[in-house]
Amino acid sequence: MNMKKKVTSIVAPVVTFLLIFAIWEFACWFYKIDAWFLPKPSEIFRSMIVDFGEYWPHLLVTLQCVLTGFLIAIPVGLLLATLITSFPLLNAAMSPYITFLVTTPLVSLIPLLMLMMGYGMNMRITTVVIQSFAVINMNACTGFNNVPTLRRELMQSMGASRLQTYRMMILPSAATDIITGLRLAAIFATTTCISVEYNAGNTGLGSQIIKYSQYLQTTKSFACIFYVTVIGLIMYGLITLLQKKIVSWEE
Amino acid sequence: MQEAKIKFDHVTKIFETRSQTITAVKDYSMEIQAGEFISILGPSGCGKSTLIRMLDGIIDTTEGDILIDGVKVNHKGKKMPSSVLRKLGFIFQQPNMLPWYTVRQNVALPLRVFGLKGPEWDNRVEELLEMVGLKEYADAHPNEISGGMLQRAGVIRAMVHDPEILLMDEPFGALDEMTREQMNMELLEIWEKTGKTIIFITHNIEEAVLLSSRVYVMGTNPGRLVETVTLDLPRPRKLSMITQKDFIEYRQLLESYIGEIDLSKIK
Ligand SMILES: Nc1ncnc2c1ncn2[C@@H]1O[C@H](COP(=O)(O)OP(=O)(O)O)[C@@H](O)[C@H]1O
Ligand SMILES: [Mg+2]
Repeated sequence: MNMKKKVTSIVAPVVTFLLIFAIWEFACWFYKIDAWFLPKPSEIFRSMIVDFGEYWPHLLVTLQCVLTGFLIAIPVGLLLATLITSFPLLNAAMSPYITFLVTTPLVSLIPLLMLMMGYGMNMRITTVVIQSFAVINMNACTGFNNVPTLRRELMQSMGASRLQTYRMMILPSAATDIITGLRLAAIFATTTCISVEYNAGNTGLGSQIIKYSQYLQTTKSFACIFYVTVIGLIMYGLITLLQKKIVSWEE
Repeated sequence: MQEAKIKFDHVTKIFETRSQTITAVKDYSMEIQAGEFISILGPSGCGKSTLIRMLDGIIDTTEGDILIDGVKVNHKGKKMPSSVLRKLGFIFQQPNMLPWYTVRQNVALPLRVFGLKGPEWDNRVEELLEMVGLKEYADAHPNEISGGMLQRAGVIRAMVHDPEILLMDEPFGALDEMTREQMNMELLEIWEKTGKTIIFITHNIEEAVLLSSRVYVMGTNPGRLVETVTLDLPRPRKLSMITQKDFIEYRQLLESYIGEIDLSKIK
């Protein structure tokens, strides 16, 4: 029964995947759609492999930017959330603006940041950090604020220090919310990185998508888009791994 | 006369919320000697938890003093010193286990917090696990064991740092009747063996009579001490006593006090 469920949960999505690409492939062939308008998926996959040497450096640049930005955003977001929720006054003063930070599309700062920092990696990573730490911060704040009172009283009844309380009780209590924040932040990080690359410089998958589109090399454009998806999957996989490791007590 | 182990000296607690002022406990006094097993009995909302939470340093008193071994322990706005907290073990109404730790780690948590290390303490954890039959579940996580077992873990967690006083806030209220009776008898055994001072909070009259040497009856609105009843029943107590004449008389006496409280509320 369980085994059957497992097989189904793997087979079903694969079938969906194949079906979508089969229909796409068939439609391109049947309606004789031009490759510059909508290339066949088989052509795109071929290009992903054959022209890999062309994409590889850009894939690396994007991956580096997303990962570095994400990894910096985690401690920044968590530290800020810890500070805010540890001091009631700070909590009251900051709460409205945390939501504000998340809801403002900070990608709109890109032109300004370009002006201040140039087109390089630093500017890209900064943008990724700014856009993704806020959602980590917001979810961590939710987690920290929702720690059950009874658990607080347990730590209090033993006279636990701030640090002990944080390490043994608050952080693990908030783990599920924090992971949710990381999941969202990973998406934000990838999206932001690509947006920056659209606008700045000529390295990274984003810049290549723009370049190939302008030359009507749509197949290559799509190949790059698929590689962006791969980066998204890598991020997703990393976080799922982290989740399994950290909140293992919640099956 | 010997100095009281625990003394409440005209203690009042007032909660100020946005909409109202609640006098949770009003002018409450009691003295408990070392090694006594006493109960605090009263309907829900009469301030029982508030009383015990003040004693455990979770909340402040508004007026009056609480003394343990003659030392005033309520310092407004300040944390209770570790030396005092080490004398206390708190057992919550829910097991209140931390789900990311194993049963053993949960039980040993006070040792980590108080900084008590060494083989003698490790042995103590194992002995306590053995005592309540949790040895083979020591490496399980709390979500893998039953409610009764969880509450046992809660009891030995409160005892692991060898406190002189156990504070129990309706500890078995959430358990089924059979498990509760069993836990009550186990608790009596522990008390007889260790001679700890126990404050046991309950709204169950039978439980109060079965376990304690003295019952403090509380009333609501405001939460206050209504009556103190000393139970002159032989020890060790047995479950079979429930049907005996003295036991039933004490039960009826306490019922009459609780009944009066209810009537006064209607007025
Ligand atoms: N933190 C608090 N803030 C405001 N009111 C409280 C608080 N804690 C308890 N109370 C009130 O104090 C009264 C006594 O509560 P409690 O001590 O929990 O009663 P019991 O344990 O006997 O059921 C109740 O009316 C309750 O609503
Ligand atoms: Mg209560």
